[in-house]
Amino acid sequence: MTKYAYYPGCTLYTKARNLDLCARKAAEKVGFELTEMPSWNCCGAIYNATSDDLAAQVGPVRNLAKASQLGEKLVTLCAACYNVLKRVQDRLDQPGNEIESERLKTFVDEKFERSVKVLHYLEVLKNDIGWDRVKEKVTKPLAKLKVASYYGCLMVRPKEVLGFDDPENPQVMDDLMRVLGAEPTKFDFKAECCGGYLVVNRREVAKAASQKILDNARAWGAEAIVTTCPLCQYNLDKLRVLTDGSLPVFYFTQLLGVAVGLNLDELGLEHSAGDPAGFLRSKGLL
Amino acid sequence: MEQPAQPQKKQRPRVGVFVCHCGINIAGVVKIPELMERVGVMPGVAVTKDYKYCCSDPGQQMIRDSIKNDRLDRVVVACCSPTLHETTFRNASAEAGLNPYQCEIANIREQCSWVTEDKATDKATEIVRTTKAKVENDFPLEAITVPINKRALVVGAGIAGIQAALDIANAGHEVVLVDKEPSIGGHMAQLSETFPTLDCSQCILTPRTVEAGRHPKIKLMTYSEIESVSGYVGNFKVKVRQKARYVDFKTCTGCGVCLEKCAGRTDARFERGLVRGKAIYRLLPQAVPNRPVIDAKACVYLTKGKCGICAKVCPTGAIRYDDTDKFVEEEVGAIVLATGYELFDAAGLASYGVGLVPDVVDGLAFERLLSASGPTSGEVKRPSDGKVPKKIVFVQCAGSRDSTAGMPYCSKICCMYTAKQAILYKHRVHDGEATICYIDVRTPGKGFEEFYKRATDDGIQYLRGKVSKIFRQGDKVVVWTSDTLAGRKVELEADMVVLATAVVASPDGVALARKLKTQIDSHGFMTEAHPKLRPVETLTAGFFLAGCGQGPKDIPETVAQASAAAAKVLAMFGNTRLTHSPTTAEVEEDICVGCGYCERTCAYEAVKVDPATKKAVVNAALCEGCGACAVACPSGAMTHKNATKKAIFQMTDLF
Amino acid sequence: MATSHPSSELLEQLQTLSGQNVSDCYQCGCCTSGCPIGEAMDPPPSKAIRLLQLGKAQELLDSEGIWMCASCLVCGTRCPRAVDYARIAEACRALILRSKQSRVDPDTVTVPELEEIPQQAFIAAFRKSSV
Repeated sequence: MTKYAYYPGCTLYTKARNLDLCARKAAEKVGFELTEMPSWNCCGAIYNATSDDLAAQVGPVRNLAKASQLGEKLVTLCAACYNVLKRVQDRLDQPGNEIESERLKTFVDEKFERSVKVLHYLEVLKNDIGWDRVKEKVTKPLAKLKVASYYGCLMVRPKEVLGFDDPENPQVMDDLMRVLGAEPTKFDFKAECCGGYLVVNRREVAKAASQKILDNARAWGAEAIVTTCPLCQYNLDKLRVLTDGSLPVFYFTQLLGVAVGLNLDELGLEHSAGDPAGFLRSKGLL
Repeated sequence: MEQPAQPQKKQRPRVGVFVCHCGINIAGVVKIPELMERVGVMPGVAVTKDYKYCCSDPGQQMIRDSIKNDRLDRVVVACCSPTLHETTFRNASAEAGLNPYQCEIANIREQCSWVTEDKATDKATEIVRTTKAKVENDFPLEAITVPINKRALVVGAGIAGIQAALDIANAGHEVVLVDKEPSIGGHMAQLSETFPTLDCSQCILTPRTVEAGRHPKIKLMTYSEIESVSGYVGNFKVKVRQKARYVDFKTCTGCGVCLEKCAGRTDARFERGLVRGKAIYRLLPQAVPNRPVIDAKACVYLTKGKCGICAKVCPTGAIRYDDTDKFVEEEVGAIVLATGYELFDAAGLASYGVGLVPDVVDGLAFERLLSASGPTSGEVKRPSDGKVPKKIVFVQCAGSRDSTAGMPYCSKICCMYTAKQAILYKHRVHDGEATICYIDVRTPGKGFEEFYKRATDDGIQYLRGKVSKIFRQGDKVVVWTSDTLAGRKVELEADMVVLATAVVASPDGVALARKLKTQIDSHGFMTEAHPKLRPVETLTAGFFLAGCGQGPKDIPETVAQASAAAAKVLAMFGNTRLTHSPTTAEVEEDICVGCGYCERTCAYEAVKVDPATKKAVVNAALCEGCGACAVACPSGAMTHKNATKKAIFQMTDLF
Repeated sequence: MATSHPSSELLEQLQTLSGQNVSDCYQCGCCTSGCPIGEAMDPPPSKAIRLLQLGKAQELLDSEGIWMCASCLVCGTRCPRAVDYARIAEACRALILRSKQSRVDPDTVTVPELEEIPQQAFIAAFRKSSV
């Protein structure tokens, strides 16, 4: 069972702990283990894009230094953490940026053993495990559930640094849904912003942005929507833009969990608004 | 009494050096008096003169007079680049009785005063000394002349190719006109009406296509491609592949019965993906030549051995399932490349919904919807459900002016054709609404600005903002754009969207240019010899350019350029023989061992090792005098006329 | 990274901080077209850059719009001239925050919100808008 150093991030560690647990159990079923890296700290939640603010990079740099001592790869489950950590690692590695990079590294006590490959859980499934092996572990195919795959903006942009997938029409999660037996729908808003952190003091803007995403998913006939970031999950789910309760929002590992046979209490559905468990039952998936 | 011939000591040639000020271009940086002084004391320099503009008449006269009066054997003109005035000064020298190849240019402008500051005079002195050393070693040479085959090849039979072919043929010369499609007319045949007159495109095109089809001097080869070209200007050998049509040209009458019954289906490229076409097809009813072809990959008989209906119903038995590609050799003296354009595949503009939304089409597809001979007989109907769209959004700059998409240039024709398409749409659908999303409206031609006004007079709304995203929402197509003049984002809901996608060089044209080794730029457009002054020639002698293959342009410009290319061809054909520079490679047979390094090095295929004699043979007419073979030759058998090793050693002053 | 426009010291600072050159922008409006915040952002991205091009950097710094950016990066990704407005907005905010002016007071968050909203949102929001 391959072990990966794992960085949960603040939200998955606390408020969205249910998603973290579900993801780990699903990983075990699929054939890998996420080992939480010791004494990690906050990644900063968003990348600081000014050219000279070094202090803002120290948090992520420290995490990367620690992770580099554990091995080559670091897996994240949250798109935001993925975005920050990968961009900071890239900033350290940029040719021509050696002076800044060295300075940043001197701010932390931990020594950098190597450049860390920051991976998202989805990349582990696709590249390291492989879709064929994932498919073998599916015991309960998802009954052709029509799912809209919502990637959000932080997973795919900036393309040059993340190299995750095509930012306009990414396919990785759609591929996963297909492997799990669901039917990914066409969807124009795969990587349009849900409003993100604007939910804190500009709730209406986040609500409006999320509304558009859900409207488009419904227009293409989706029965459910999957996300890869706890904040997107919150915006699309909890803001309850659709008062009729339709279009449940799942974290991708929750659907993965259903497909590989986790029990209801392992799926972490309790924090979602509406009745996702009821929905799954109605589809014969629970 | 005759004196016995004394063995004479070879006299050093008398070199005249003429230094040009070029206004302040040279004189402003290089200290002319100092240069003159240093040059004046160089051994072999008989006279040194300077002048403000040597290329002027008095300047040239000064050189001619000096050659005569100062009994000069060689001339060095220290001035601008030889690409500008080498011919000028060589002609002047020839007029004064000096062999033109014993006049050399010392470039002290582009390679000195324009790029150096504090060491300019030193550098100029060294450049002059070097050139003097070269010219002292120059032999008198005579230009080579080659015969001219006064037949032309025109590649591409769109409006550019057709125009060029007609002009050359009407002057009495034979033209071979080749096109890869089954019939001629190019993209102009797909258009409905043309701007700014709204002439019906077929109506103005077909007189030309018919004339080209039956002109006694034009040999039309359709459904054909150029396999290879060898030879040199005035004497090209072209191999043409005539693709298998599976229809006998002579017996087919063009009645069209086979077209009705065919069972095979394929993408109809002419209809831009709006409908499926049949395996046996004709591009348009007025096709020239009016003979269908069978697409072998789509034909049920040719792929599966079933059907065969066309052969059964053909009244003259013209179907030939056993047809094969044929190769034809043509000999011509000049080649006009008119390979045309394509539209950028909009699927490359990922945020525009192409492929996801059927009612998002490109400019040429909309043109087919407008065309009376198109898939909807000229009624504007949207692809998804055939309903008449009441609201169309036209998107300009779909890919153009976009460095991140790889096309930083403006495609030139889209502002005009979009205005035209919107006007035509409004003519057909009186209660229809058209909105054009633009960044700028470019109307550079005659009558174009007035045409744009006509569009706005017709109630077409122009909204300034580049579209960011297009997607489907239920029955409608949503367009995210902005109104930069009002300063805000705008969301439009339409029934259909037309993208004015970027004009790109035809991929087949690019492949051909690579095969022929003619120059193309980083976007695939063919490169002209000089952007300002030589727009229809290439740097490869004998190859001329016309049409959109050289860059995006509209029909009036295309026709003008095609006639210009024809004029250049006719100017060439107006000579009895062509001259070719004599500074070519030369083989010393005694030393040559036939190793073949020269043959492998030559980019012009001008030197080959004769298998019988095992000696390298230079075809002086093909040789461009680049010197690569002389460098490659391990034994030193290969030399370069007037650029011998001895000359180079003296120029570089190394030994 | 020279700019040929009448630039104030402020513009120079912003261009250095953001790594963007406002003279590259030809005001096509694509950034505004694709911004998920839409009409709520005033001035929208293209207009914001226009202010900088016209030497009105202070007007932009005083505006509401720069605080509305969610850093989703669609503007920079789709810009035909590869100008990244998100980084310009970040630079504007940075200049203000560095002069010790908070935009949002963290104490204004209510207890129910604190309990419900994922903390990554708070961290991100306050890093972008308060000192």
